[in-house]
Amino acid sequence: MPLWEKRRSALVLAGLIVFHVLLISIQVPQGAEKSIFERSVFFVFAPVQRAASGTVRGLGSLWNGYFDLRRVRSENQKLKRQNFFLAQNLRFLEDRLQLIQSEIKIKAALAEFESTIVVARVIGVDSANPHQAIVIDKGSFDGVAKDMAVCDRNGALVGRTIAPVGFKEAMVQLVTDKDSSVSVKSVVAGLTGAMTGRSTGTCDLKYVLASAPGGEADEELRTTGFDKIYPAGIPVGTIQSLAPDEVSPIFRRIAVRPYFRLDTIDVVAVLTKGPGGGA
Amino acid sequence: MRETVGGDVLRAFLGTLVAVVVYSVAGAGAPALLVVFNVFSVVVLYFSIRRGEIFGALLGTMCGLAQDAFSLGVFGVAGLTKTLLGFGTGYISRRIDVAPFTRNALFMLAMSVLEMVLWVLITAVVRVKPVNLQGGLILLQPIVTALVGSSLFALERRIKTRSSRGA
Repeated sequence: MPLWEKRRSALVLAGLIVFHVLLISIQVPQGAEKSIFERSVFFVFAPVQRAASGTVRGLGSLWNGYFDLRRVRSENQKLKRQNFFLAQNLRFLEDRLQLIQSEIKIKAALAEFESTIVVARVIGVDSANPHQAIVIDKGSFDGVAKDMAVCDRNGALVGRTIAPVGFKEAMVQLVTDKDSSVSVKSVVAGLTGAMTGRSTGTCDLKYVLASAPGGEADEELRTTGFDKIYPAGIPVGTIQSLAPDEVSPIFRRIAVRPYFRLDTIDVVAVLTKGPGGGA
Repeated sequence: MRETVGGDVLRAFLGTLVAVVVYSVAGAGAPALLVVFNVFSVVVLYFSIRRGEIFGALLGTMCGLAQDAFSLGVFGVAGLTKTLLGFGTGYISRRIDVAPFTRNALFMLAMSVLEMVLWVLITAVVRVKPVNLQGGLILLQPIVTALVGSSLFALERRIKTRSSRGA
């Protein structure tokens, strides 16, 4: 009997172990670029994830739609009232804007703003730790590329797109990932530092000198744009607590609570222009 | 019917697709659920017990690499641990009877714990950083995996019993 028949199980296992050890070895130390093999696996399985997520969403919409119909009458009345007031507000704001800029300039600015945003749905989360990454249903065909800022529906920073970017799917590194870093500044005291994740629901604001004055809990943090990835001025979160850093006494230990909520995030906006977008 | 590695590869690929679909559905419903529920491990355990060590190893490789592709971790770590999980589960289940529910659950628990220990160790060595255990929540993963896996077998047995009574 040939060796293959006698030791088939052991040979398959040995081959697979060698394959994995080689696969892991070529990534250590980890580089920024993903291997072709890893990208290929993502390209194969991401459309499956997209289809499954779409099906669940469709069924959910059908179910919600039934109940929504029952509430729609009363909501319609309410919305009509709201619409009236919103129209008044819009009119007021338009009048105010006219005082500042000409109509052509306003239209150009609005058109440019709209073209910089790609709206995407969240179709998956990181399989090892949900606070590290999410997968969205827009990719290179929609103008999404690596290193573009991603915000939630309220305009708060969620993270940035990273490789692999598929044709219709892309991976987003969340600001809560421990390998993420965002240059931020507090709006009142002007504390500037790098916000890094903990791979939990909270983050740290690092490299703020102990001698830096001011700063208090609930103070808002916004991006500075220094990192050349995130545009300046995007709200990121609030300071949760401040304390002296016992490990590095020259810095302050600042905990940050990001605005975006992983459990409710469903739609995001990818900013295709700006520092990270390259345009 | 003669079993071939090629056929096993195809079946393993289909098994992985099932895992990706369940993972996507679970992730869309409740992202936090994925901390305690590793669907890839459940799929590997379930099919390894049914089809043996070679199929288990191949399915483990595919499921592990699919899991790695949807994660920011080092690509291949889950692939390696799930390959060993699939092989070990298939190999042992051919030598001892793991059909009764309690024994089945304990066996799956033991294999899941081994897989998790291996994953934590390899990740810590490769990344040279302590692994984030999600405040201990991740330690529930083997228990949930064992419960879901053994429940699947119990459900399968019940369906088979009913259909044989009906025939």
